[in-house]
Amino acid sequence: MAGFQPKKEAIISAGIDIGTSTTKIIISRFSLMNVAGSTHVPRIEIVDKEILYKSPIFRTPLQDATTIDIKGVELIIRSQYEDAGIQSSDIETGAVIITGETATKQNAREIVHYLSREVGDFLVAAAGPDLEGIIAAKGSGTYDYALKTGRVTANIDIGGGTANIAVYKRDKLLGTCTMHVGGRLIEFKDSTVMSISPPIEQLLKQENKSLRLGDTNRHPDIKFIADFMADSITRVLAKEVKAEDEVLLLGHKPNWNEPVEAIMFSGGISECMYEQEITRPSDISYNDIGKQLAASLQSNRRLTEWDWIEPEETVRATVLGAGTQTTEISGATIQVAPDELPVKNVPVYKYSFHGHLEKGLAALGQSIKEAINIYDSFQEGQNFVLYLADLPYVGFKDIQKLARAILQVMELRHDPEQPILLVMQMDYAKVLGQTLLAMNARQSVICIDQINVDHGDYMDIGRALQSEVVPVIVKTLTFHSS
Amino acid sequence: MNEQLIQTITKLVVEKLKSNEVSQPSAGTADVQIKLHSKQATGALTELPPPENPNGKVTFHQTTSAKPEKKSAVHPQPAEKTISKQEEFIEELKKKTPSRIGVGRAGSRPKTNTWLQFRLDHAAAVDAVYGEVPDKILHQLDLFQVQTRVKDKEEYIRRPDLGRKLSDEAKELIKKRCAFSPSVQIVTSNGLSAKAIEENLEDVYLSLVQSLGNLGIETGTPFYVDKGRVALMDEIGDVLQPDVVVMLIGERPGLVSAESLSAYLCYQPRIGTIEADRMVVSNIHKGGIPPVEAGAYLGTLIQKILKYEASGVSLVKKEG
Repeated sequence: MAGFQPKKEAIISAGIDIGTSTTKIIISRFSLMNVAGSTHVPRIEIVDKEILYKSPIFRTPLQDATTIDIKGVELIIRSQYEDAGIQSSDIETGAVIITGETATKQNAREIVHYLSREVGDFLVAAAGPDLEGIIAAKGSGTYDYALKTGRVTANIDIGGGTANIAVYKRDKLLGTCTMHVGGRLIEFKDSTVMSISPPIEQLLKQENKSLRLGDTNRHPDIKFIADFMADSITRVLAKEVKAEDEVLLLGHKPNWNEPVEAIMFSGGISECMYEQEITRPSDISYNDIGKQLAASLQSNRRLTEWDWIEPEETVRATVLGAGTQTTEISGATIQVAPDELPVKNVPVYKYSFHGHLEKGLAALGQSIKEAINIYDSFQEGQNFVLYLADLPYVGFKDIQKLARAILQVMELRHDPEQPILLVMQMDYAKVLGQTLLAMNARQSVICIDQINVDHGDYMDIGRALQSEVVPVIVKTLTFHSS
Repeated sequence: MNEQLIQTITKLVVEKLKSNEVSQPSAGTADVQIKLHSKQATGALTELPPPENPNGKVTFHQTTSAKPEKKSAVHPQPAEKTISKQEEFIEELKKKTPSRIGVGRAGSRPKTNTWLQFRLDHAAAVDAVYGEVPDKILHQLDLFQVQTRVKDKEEYIRRPDLGRKLSDEAKELIKKRCAFSPSVQIVTSNGLSAKAIEENLEDVYLSLVQSLGNLGIETGTPFYVDKGRVALMDEIGDVLQPDVVVMLIGERPGLVSAESLSAYLCYQPRIGTIEADRMVVSNIHKGGIPPVEAGAYLGTLIQKILKYEASGVSLVKKEG
């Protein structure tokens, strides 16, 4: 077949990372192509990702210590769209993520919703600390490195407010951990200490240190704190967390079960170590303990026990991950009602058949009632995605039974008129969708497969593309509660 | 010897080998699953780790006159860790293919397990060719049966050309019983695997009919051809003048699966249609494309063929 070029489709993706200290944007283009042989059912995959535009690194605009300046963020985004030469309507997928301490700001949730409406009709992922670490690991090159070498590799993304650790072995995520370790936890002004964040205050007290606001930035306690953070990271990596480290842990303890072999640093602190950026951030003097922290990490003896791998991206790892790694493509044989898309921020309820259709169907109603109680406790009609997992191999008549059961249980919802949202673990989405239609379901049906989701995730489903697939973003967690 | 008997014995041996292994603590190799192999091979075969001190340890001798070199101190010393890494790597690779990779060997031959499994799969493939489609299935789906010009299986295999032509009675019968010039004519045939039809036809067919129904595409009167070949659709096209023929036919069995079904599609097939205008969705079976999903997909594929009034390479060109 000389000259035969498989058809490609391109979509534009935006990644926006609003971090504790910096905000950055990247615009990229994904090429989608059918990678299955011509005699197979099509399988559409992202075959190429090209970065079209990288923004400079901006300081995150804040109104005050607890509020993000929405207008300021929007202004940055709009100016960057202009520089990149794209319209907000061009953007078909992508993620805004609010990371680090910024995610705990009062109006974080408000911001993502506002931005998703105003600056592009794209999908939004508001990351929680675990997802943040995963996204950074994918953006920094840790994921690729672990995949290629098979070594247990930890990515340590340290920004202004938090350090997000994600450990990979090949393509398997072994675990995550998040710590209160970051450059901005102690800030200076005119070479005196201007602010100390609450976890550090606690740490100072615990270690009987006297550092206070107004002290000089050459106070010995500052080096102590930075060294302590570096030691603490070392203990977390080795899974030897001690009682004194707990003040720095945000959420759960390290949960990987294999010893880490190699480490990679990303984030703003990593930039202080590797200085990859050609054009320095316009406002380089962040005036905080970032530099000291980088120095402490670099001189930490025990950290040299691991192989240090230089990251492909330092300070931009998270935004790169957000822009290029959060979008998944559904299977090509799906059934969607185009008018109902996009669907945003719906929770996922996983229902496992444990390999038994009949038993599974019998208990389905009860579980759906539970799901409704969890997700729609205020009876406002909050819809949810039903994720059908561990189905046995099924024939056509089984699919009919399944469809009938689904129609029945979906009536239990407080607002039964809402579309039926289904994700299948196995490749049955099209036939189940068609069967629901053939049974004259009164609701619209969105039934997709080949997406990795789990119980408690939130999902965004984008508009159907020409290739008859939909882009999907799965959010492992939303906002942290702290 | 009785074929049935051979198969039974082989099965017994395989099962025996397996049950031995289950009782043995064989670390790490327990979850190697050979998922796609034909149904006869029940479950996973596991491999024994080599015993610590094998009795029949193979040693190599120098047969030339040259003095044997002194055993050097350089032993390949793969640390514990690297071995397990390698094994892990092989496991990863095994998950990605149904092929028989990483099965080990005994001297220059495959291990007994591997060999028996191979024989079993081969036997299943042969059975699939020589098997017959149970009447019950055709009856359930309300398919009447016609013959090609082939007399028996031997002739079917030796003379592909005869499998591409309808017998005179068959022509008369379909002229009489089938709707003339429908949008879609569904034809089914055992082809080279009766097993494929037995296992998958019902699901593919029902799902396809539902899909076409949803799309509002009219279908003709379906039927079953015994011992047909793909290009038989040309003659059927000539007689019934449909816009699209979709032929569900058993694939030539392989060692991965003996029950794989293919759907061949063609826009207005007539005698003289060139092969490039045919298209196929293959690998429809439990371990491949699930039959129910394949049927659902075929419906939308047929919709596309009707829209562009083309199939195969012509369709790709028109679609642009």
